[in-house]
Amino acid sequence: MLAAAAVTLVFVAPIYLMLVNAFKPQDKILANPVSLPWPPTLDNLKEALTRPDNLIPLGLRNSLIVAVISVALIIPLGSAFSFYIARRSGKAKAAILLALSAGLMIPPQVTLLPTIRILTWIGLDHSYPGLILANLGGGYLSFAVFVYVGFMRSVPDEIIQAARLDGASGLRIWWQIVMPLVRPATATVAIFLTLWIWNDFLNPLFILGPLQGQTITTGLYLTIGQYSVDYGQLFGIMFLAGVLPVIGYLTVQKQFVAGLTSGATK
Amino acid sequence: MRKKHLKAGERGLTLLAALALLLYLVFLVLPLLLSLRSSFTNENPLKATNDFVGFANYTEMASDDALKASLTFTLILAFGVTVAANALGVGFAMLLNRTSLSYRVMRTLAFLPQVLSGVIVGFVWQTILTQNGLLNTALLKVGILDEPYPWLGSPHAALFSIGLVVTWVMSGFTTVVYLAALQSIPLELNDMASLDGVRGTQRFRKITWPMLAPGTTISVTISLITVLKLYDIITVLTGGGPANSTQSTALYIVKLAFTSDRVGYASAVAMLLLAISAVVALVVTGALRRREVSL
Repeated sequence: MLAAAAVTLVFVAPIYLMLVNAFKPQDKILANPVSLPWPPTLDNLKEALTRPDNLIPLGLRNSLIVAVISVALIIPLGSAFSFYIARRSGKAKAAILLALSAGLMIPPQVTLLPTIRILTWIGLDHSYPGLILANLGGGYLSFAVFVYVGFMRSVPDEIIQAARLDGASGLRIWWQIVMPLVRPATATVAIFLTLWIWNDFLNPLFILGPLQGQTITTGLYLTIGQYSVDYGQLFGIMFLAGVLPVIGYLTVQKQFVAGLTSGATK
Repeated sequence: MRKKHLKAGERGLTLLAALALLLYLVFLVLPLLLSLRSSFTNENPLKATNDFVGFANYTEMASDDALKASLTFTLILAFGVTVAANALGVGFAMLLNRTSLSYRVMRTLAFLPQVLSGVIVGFVWQTILTQNGLLNTALLKVGILDEPYPWLGSPHAALFSIGLVVTWVMSGFTTVVYLAALQSIPLELNDMASLDGVRGTQRFRKITWPMLAPGTTISVTISLITVLKLYDIITVLTGGGPANSTQSTALYIVKLAFTSDRVGYASAVAMLLLAISAVVALVVTGALRRREVSL
């Protein structure tokens, strides 16, 4: 028990520092960074939220828009595609699946520049629609298909045949019968993609560019350098930027681990 | 009427699937091909040149010391972190493998670092590791150090510090994977081992470790690939410094492309990184899969 607690402490210590120091003034942070914030001060958070550049509210809003729209579009696209190929057999299907799983492995630095060039061709470079479009077609879609195909295979063929005999169209079978059956896959895809797109750094940094507004990660990166000595301000900003994913994770933590382990032990 | 409806529905699904395939072709396959093409040119947006130069970029790589340094750093980091994070993951998983509430809470907390963006992870650790950061402040006050230690300021210390931070992040992931693998070991197997008097290190070597094999495959592969393309944590922690000593290949590619405007050469280096990732993934996954079978 003691050893297990010590291990947990190692994982949590830096996050603990971020949490307690967000509520302490600068002099107390330097005097003792591990002490509890008592009495707690909200000055760091207030200052971070009322910055003239609106870093935190704007960044959170932009990240939310990008993540929600991307995930809301990747789920139907990825699942329809998976349903379409899961019902087919043969070499074409194997080749497509192989190509898609390769997509999981490609370092984003390889595709970044050409992606920006393609977005320029269609007039969407340095824009949020462009960033979302790049999210839709990249490795994220590969991940969605990868997860969905595994689940789609386990949907019994009889159910689909029966629905077909009743006259249901492919679109209806997919949306009304298959989608409810693969809900755990949807949960896994939604949770992980939201997190990854929210935390993404390279794509928003270069696809949006500094002049076109910022997501919370790029905004943080481009602004926080000014505060190399003001720890109170630093921790305040980091706390506000990191608190949403942490709350989200604690809320759906069971599905989170289930999604991770179902993929890992298959 | 009904037949028409049916057809429309059929077309709708095909359309969605085709749209997904189109997006995949335009934003993954096409960029890959463009990158490959670009790697045979001297493309440079500042000079507006874009001529084919054959294999010149690839031969230049052979004599590029910055590239060699970046590859060495990247490979040391990737293998070091993978070994450390997987060893720790197995150990932590065995420590946390109980079902009582306190253990479930600890497991939840252990995964927390995975949830934060690399940018936040980088900044939190920077406040700890920087010259006048929290760690030096504490060590000076307690009297362990006489002067601040450059955790991020000297090449070797910076490599070690980055390895530490990335291991910290990856261990949460490996722990969860190994926990799942541990829980898939049949209870009877452990009972039989107890009856036969197999315990301690022997039990670990003969039963637990082999039974973890599928978890090891996935955990090692994902650790390697993650570190090979790692960008955000290193950028925030050291930006590649001091003196480019922590410039990973991923950072080097971005620098070549966006700072030096050498798009053609950057593409060639990107192809090399892609090839290394592919070979590492295929060879390591292949070897670990074969090991699963032979165990």
